[in-house]
Parts: sequence; structure tokens; C-alpha cells
Amino acid sequence: MSNIPQSRLRNFSIIAHIDHGKSTLADRLLEATNTVEARLMTSQMLDSMDLEREKGITIKARAVRLDYVAKDGLTYGLNLIDTPGHVDFAYEVSRSLQACDGAILVVDASQGIEAQTLANVHLAMKLGLVIIPVLNKIDLPAADPEAVMSELEDSLAIPREEVILASAKSGIGISEILEALVARIPAPSGPLGAPLRALVFDSHYDTYKGVVNYIRIQEGRLKAGDPILMMGSGVTCVPVELGYFRPQHVPVQELVAGEVGYIATGLKSVRDARVGDTVTSQTTPATEPLPGYQVALPLVFAGLYPLSGEDYPALREALEKLHLNDASFTFEAESSAALGFGFRCGFLGLLHMEIVQERLEREFSLQLIASAPSCKYQVMLSGGKGELLINNPAQLPSPNHIDEIREPWVAASVVTPSTYIGTIMELSTDKRGIFDGMEYLDEKRVVMRFQIPLAELIVDYFDQLKSRTQGYASLDYTESEYRVAPLVKLDILVNGEPVDALSTIIHRDRAQGSGRNLASKLKELIPRQMFEVPIQAAIGGTVIARETVKAVRKNVLAKCYGGDITRKKKLLEKQKEGKERMKRVGSVEIPQEAFLAVLRTDAD
Amino acid sequence: MTTGAQPAPPRGLYIHVPFCRSLCPYCDFVVVAGAAAFGPRSRMGGYLSAIEQEIDLRAKLADKTFGSLGSANRQPLETLYLGGGTPSLLPTDRLASLIERIRDRFGLAPDAEVTLEANPGGDERGDLAGVVQAGVTRLSVGVQVMDTTALRSLGRRHTPDDVVATVAAARAAGFASLSMDLLADLPDLPFDAWAASLDAAIALAPDHLSVYALTLSLGPDEAGDDRLATPAGAVAWRERAAAAQDEERGALELEHLNSRLPAAGYDWYEISNWATAGHASRHNTLYWERASVAAVGPGAHAFDGVTRRWNSANLDAWEAALQQGELPPGGESEAESGTAGTAEGLVLALRMARGVERDVVVRDGFSDAITWGESNGLLAPHPTDASRVQLTLRGRLLSNELFSRIV
Repeated sequence: MSNIPQSRLRNFSIIAHIDHGKSTLADRLLEATNTVEARLMTSQMLDSMDLEREKGITIKARAVRLDYVAKDGLTYGLNLIDTPGHVDFAYEVSRSLQACDGAILVVDASQGIEAQTLANVHLAMKLGLVIIPVLNKIDLPAADPEAVMSELEDSLAIPREEVILASAKSGIGISEILEALVARIPAPSGPLGAPLRALVFDSHYDTYKGVVNYIRIQEGRLKAGDPILMMGSGVTCVPVELGYFRPQHVPVQELVAGEVGYIATGLKSVRDARVGDTVTSQTTPATEPLPGYQVALPLVFAGLYPLSGEDYPALREALEKLHLNDASFTFEAESSAALGFGFRCGFLGLLHMEIVQERLEREFSLQLIASAPSCKYQVMLSGGKGELLINNPAQLPSPNHIDEIREPWVAASVVTPSTYIGTIMELSTDKRGIFDGMEYLDEKRVVMRFQIPLAELIVDYFDQLKSRTQGYASLDYTESEYRVAPLVKLDILVNGEPVDALSTIIHRDRAQGSGRNLASKLKELIPRQMFEVPIQAAIGGTVIARETVKAVRKNVLAKCYGGDITRKKKLLEKQKEGKERMKRVGSVEIPQEAFLAVLRTDAD
Repeated sequence: MTTGAQPAPPRGLYIHVPFCRSLCPYCDFVVVAGAAAFGPRSRMGGYLSAIEQEIDLRAKLADKTFGSLGSANRQPLETLYLGGGTPSLLPTDRLASLIERIRDRFGLAPDAEVTLEANPGGDERGDLAGVVQAGVTRLSVGVQVMDTTALRSLGRRHTPDDVVATVAAARAAGFASLSMDLLADLPDLPFDAWAASLDAAIALAPDHLSVYALTLSLGPDEAGDDRLATPAGAVAWRERAAAAQDEERGALELEHLNSRLPAAGYDWYEISNWATAGHASRHNTLYWERASVAAVGPGAHAFDGVTRRWNSANLDAWEAALQQGELPPGGESEAESGTAGTAEGLVLALRMARGVERDVVVRDGFSDAITWGESNGLLAPHPTDASRVQLTLRGRLLSNELFSRIV
């Protein structure tokens, strides 16, 4: 135990939309409490993955303890639990919030509240967290604190008297925020004498310490060396270390109810100790786990293939290693006629897919091709042959074996300035969305609700939403139900051969247009080959669109004297590398980008 | 074909003469133009002193490495090539003393081929009779195209009439061999006009023709220690010109050469080169056979059979070092041994009509590439020697598709 009594602990999180200043605020809090020496501060201290800094989002939750000497002269232990900032990680967010007793709600004073924030605040309120509203960036010329305070009042019933005006960038309001954390958030109340129950709100894999669980002790106490039981997975172990975060690990001998810290379990895979699981004592276990444990299920599926077939074992190894750290994606071996051996992977969402792919490429130096993303379809086979679940268009049986196909739908909410209502309505109905209603947050901003097929959402709804609203609209969604739809498989044939990785399942009415777009996109993306290459889009056996990539006619560097020889060699090596970055399908070389074209067919 | 690991004494020498009256926007060679090339602020004088210095230093180095001139290992040069730039801008007396110096330091075989590049413009082609007197045996004329409009749009200063006058003067002066450089795939020039231009060039009966598809270097990464940065104006010109090129038309033009030139008595002996009997360029053939060729002048590239070496393209830096009696700054490639050298040799050899000995190449480990070339119609047996393979016409147009499978 770390010498601060339960009554002076505060566990909180920061809820904010991307770019509204969460990371900067976290950095200021760290500085103001001397948790991190100024000379060691890197910008956005908590976002430790390069990818997170680049994308400006938090992928994995992080935690840190701040020791704060309040105006009352006492030292408080403030545990900041960071939350992932993207809809793909909604379940992780819910577990992080579950570990808290309060939350700072950061809203940009010029932009107002966004869909994701709204959803998270509702979640926090449902979990009984105290909300400390903070208007950030109030020193910017565009700031309109009055309007945003009205919005908070109208949409979340947050009284304007509670709002703290701040600028994390210039340090305004930081001491008020720290005092509010002490004054407004209740101290944790879990009984110290009860059997141990601790919530896992995050985990990562460490080469030396095995799986490190980030935990909040709800009840009881945990001593170093006590054997533990993961109530969800049933796995037991003797932790190698306990501690809290600074943000680096600080080992302690004991963690007690109310505290936030880590358990280095020594376990080999995060699968054994997933987010949401309950840690208890193996010798005197609790009877019931903490509520709310579930295994987050993937929604988006895609095939990942190594560019070069030889890298298949390396890809398998990389997936296994990455999975130790991120149990929320799934993978199973599959093979594609076009791409060879690879893995069908399941992701929480498109961003999650992008992140996993980028991490595989960066951290394991792999070159990958991803097939078109898909969702999970229920296929009712004809003749009472039962139901088939497929997540790969290639698995769709031929139409005469199918009674009906059901696809997943989601409930989406979009927060937007009211000027874009028409645009968003058009985009959403274009994507087969059904309008469910709309409420005004204030006179200028609305929240629009839609039901929309997940397949449409994962193609390019989000990108379109961003571009058509100049980035002003934000999106949140949750899974709802499966519905029957007239779906067909759109195949792409390159040089007469079907490229299964380019197949998509699509609504019948949209197949024609989509096929045409895709064929013409591919014509632009596939470089000229030694021979003419026809590109066809087909449904069943019927070709609905055709384009031709002309044969290369001339590829020669005419001059080749003294100095040219060196340059010519460079040029040839460049051409060779270019070829190596392409995938051979039959006798045609197809660049990686072509496989992503499927994602962008609706863009004008 | 296979390179020994040891450097070899030079069989040819290249002298880079970087001066031009004006810059052509498509040109990538190391060139200084305008006031630096002529008039009171001309840098010709400083250049000539420096080039003499470099010839002396390179010759001394060769003496040290390979033994002095006249020793068994050190034969006189078989070829000398003055390229540019516009070497015909050199004053005739200085040209004569330059060749004399080379004869003294490196030696020149009695039948040596001595080439001078010349521009056809009245104020550029120089005193051709004096050039022959100085010891030049071969004149290579930068014709580009026999079409007034096309020449103007290329930024050239001469006209087709200047070409006619130059050829007449060259024949009168008595060059043993006369070559012309022509371009294909010119922006905005229709096929028929280009074909007519080719006929006009053939009508002047040169002994040798080099025809290059115009290659425009685009993008920012072209400058290097052996290359100058492209001026902004030229970048804009190239972008516009590249958009007006046409792969299909360019291919048709190259195909047309294949019927038109043999009909006129020229045999192709290298991808871009045709000659009447006995007039193939001996100097350039040294490059394609990976023979040892020395080089002097800013931006000049040399090869000793193992390593490629080049001088800095920066005239100031090049000249300043030589004024101090030091070799100019520059760079060199890693020694080429084993597969990389063999691959380079194969690419160069395949550019030539005589092609390569199929068995040898297969033994060297290139059977995949050769088979690919054959099955895609890029390679075929040599017409008079079935043990060899050579590029087909299609192969000449698409040679990089094959070569990028070899390197």
C-alpha cells in the first residue's frame, strides 16, 4: 500500500473528443503535480505508441498516479485512468470508466460537444460517475463558452455553475481542476476486509513480466506473492509484481480497495486476463465476479496476406505476438486463390483494423495486403439445411443454395452543426440508412439518429461524413440486430481470373454502379502489363462492367554511356522494387492500393 | 563478359566539356551556359588549364597503377571522346594541344577513334577543317530533329539548314566518320512529321545514327554529386512536355526505325544506335562491353573494370581542386564483383545486337530472366548464331521489363 488512506484517493478519467485537448490536459496535470519532471516530459506523455501520437488518439488505456497537495494541506492520490478515444474501443472505454468514480469532461470551447463524447458521458453517468465539466481552449479567438455551456445544460443537464474554464495549452484553470477532483469526486468506498475483487481495465504484454493487468481494486486487498484467480478465464497465477504507475511501474507490497495499479501476472497471453475480468484471491475467492464482463466481439473482418508467400510463417508469428498484447482481434488461417495463404482477421472496427495492420507492418517489418473488409453475415441455406455464418465473401454459396441472407445493422448517432442536416441525411439514406429522429443540442447543433447496415458503415461512411461536413460531424454507433436483405456477391475478374480478395457482398440495387466504379478504379491502379488486361465486374456469371488496361508499349532508357550506366542501374532497381511491392495474381501484377480500392468506390 | 576482380588500364578516355551557348530544357548533362561559355567572362580558359592538370594527374595515377606508357600492360588509348556540353566551342588550337597532351600522357593508337560532339549552329560548330587537323576522326552532330518548329520548341538554336551546312562542311573537312543524334517521342510532333524528319536526316547520308526516345527526368531527386540541379524553368518545361509525349506514338516511331534504317543501309548494333558497315562507335562499345574507360572533366564518369568513379559536377569545386594540384572531389561506387557485376554486364551486352551466349548466361544464373524474355517475345535466337540470344524489336522497346528482372 502506498501510504495514502482510502479517503484521500480519487479515481478519475478524462472524456474528450479527438483534438479537444485530452492529452494536453493530462500532460499539464502531470506537470502541475510534479509527477513527471519537466525535462522528461515528451508531448502527450500518455500516448506511448508512435501510432497513437500520429493519429492523435489513444488506442490503449493508460494510467498514472498523481500525488497532489491540495489547498487543505493534505496529500491526495489522484489516479488518472486514460480511455481509448475511438468508437471501435467502446467496450474498453466502458471498463475504464467502471474503474473510476468521476470523470473530467473536456469540451472544446469553440466546437462544442461531439457524438463520441456524448455517448461516453451518458455511459459515465449511467455508471454513477461524478462529471467535472471543463471548457478547454477558452483563450482561442473562436471560443464561445456561453454557447457551449448552454449546450451542456440542454443536452446533458450539466449546470453552468459547475463548468471550469480552462486552457490546457497555456495552463489556465489547471489548479481549479485539481481542486475540483479532490472536492467533487467521492473517495472510493470498497470494504478492505471483504474478499478481493479487482477489475481489469487494461492489459499489455511485457517480455519480462508477462501479461501486466491494469486494475482497480474494488474490495479487499492484494499482497505481493498472494496467488490469484481470474474469475472470467479461470486462470490462476502467482503475480511476479504489484505496483502503481508514475507512469512507469513503481512496485509496492500491497494494493488495497480503492487503489489503482498493476499486477504483473507472468501469464503468457492477454487472452488469459482480458479487459473486464475480475481478479480475486485463489485461496479465499469472492463468490461473484464484478458485473459487466464480456469478450468484445469483432465486427469487421478482412483477410491479411503477406505480399510475399515466404512471409506466411512470419505473419503467423507476428499475429501471435501482437495478440498477446491485443486480444480483441481474432485471426484464423485461410487461403485465397488470388493471394495464397493468409489469415482472416476480425477487428472491433475499421480503425482497429488499420492499427493492427500498421503495427504488423511497422513492428514486424511485414508487407501486407488486406482484402476488402466485410462483416459477419447469416446465410439461411435452402432446403432447411440450416444457417451458415460467413465473414468472407468468398464463402458465400451460390444463390440457388440460399433462402435468405441477413446482415448486421447498427444504431448510429451523428452530432453535427444543423447546416449539414441535409448532407448527412443524403449520405445516410444513400447508404441504406433509416432515419430515426433528431434532437437539437442547441440552436446550431443536432444529434441525428439512424439505423444503418454495418456493411455500409464500414465501407466509407465515416470518411464521407468527415469530408462532406468539413470534419464537423462526429459519429457513434452500437450493434443492433440482423435483418434480411437482397444481397449479392460482386466478383472482380482480372485477366479472366476471379480475384477472390476483391469480392464483396453488396445490395442488389447497388451492384451495377459499384461494379462499374470498381472496374474503372482498378483500371487506374493496375499499371500497364506486358499484355492487355481486361478487368471485369460480375454478379453470378454475368459481367456487368468491363475495362481494359492497355499493354505497355515502351519501357526503355535509350541513352547508356559512362554516367548513364549508374543511373540506369538505379532506375532498373527502382522498377524491380516497384514490381516486388506488387502481388502477382495469375500473370498480372497488382499493386497493394488496388486491394483498397474496394473501400473507396463510392467516392465521386 | 565476366569481369576479373582486377582494375584494368584504360582503353578509352572521355573528356567532358561542359560549355553550351544556351541551356536546353530537357538536357540532364553537366552544362554551364551563357556568359560562362563565351565572351569576356568565359570560364573556358580556367577550364582548359584545369583539364590539362587533371589529364596529367590521372595519367600519373595510371602510370603508378598499371606501369608507365609503353610497358607491356599499358597500351595506348584506342578511343578518345570529347562530349558535352558543346565541345565544338573549344578553340581549335586548344583542342589540338589537348589531343597532343593526351597522346603524350596516355598514348593514342595510330588508328584511334577520336570523336568530337558538335552542335550544328553557325556559331557553335567551330572550324571543322581545323578540328580534323587537330586529330579528330569522327564528328557527332547534335541534330535532334529536322523540323524547324520542333527544334524551336526543344529550345535548340539551330535550324535544319544549319544541319545541312554542317554536314557539308564536315564532309569537306574529311572526317572519317560522321554521326548524328536524333530524338524520338517528341512532345507535340505528329508521327508523319517525325518520319519526314528522319528521312531528311537519312538524305544527308551520315555514317552513324543514334536515336533516343526523349527521356524527361521529372521530380526533385535528380541532382547528385555527379549531376546539377534542374533549373526551375526547365522543370516546368519538362512537366508540360512529358504530358505531351505519347507512349503509343513513341513506340510506333521506334518500330518505324526498325524498317526504315535497314532499308537505308544502317544496321542496328545497340538499342539506340545504327551504323553503316565499319562505323559503329568504338568508344561507346567500350562502355557496353564494360571495358576500362578513363574520364576527366566536371561530372565525368570513369570505370576501371571494377569500380565506377565520377567527378563532382560542380565546375567551381572541380576547378579549385585542380588549381591546387589535387584530384577533384567526386564519388565512387562499391567494387562490383560477382553477381552484380555479371548482371550489369548482361544488361549492357543484351542492349547490343550481338546479344549473349545463351549457355553462358544460363550458367551464370539468369535462366529465369532469359526464359521469361523468350516466352514474352523479348528475346529470340540471334539470326546468324543460334547459340546466342538477342533482343527482338519488341524486346528493344520493352527492354527495361527484362532488365529489371536481371539486376
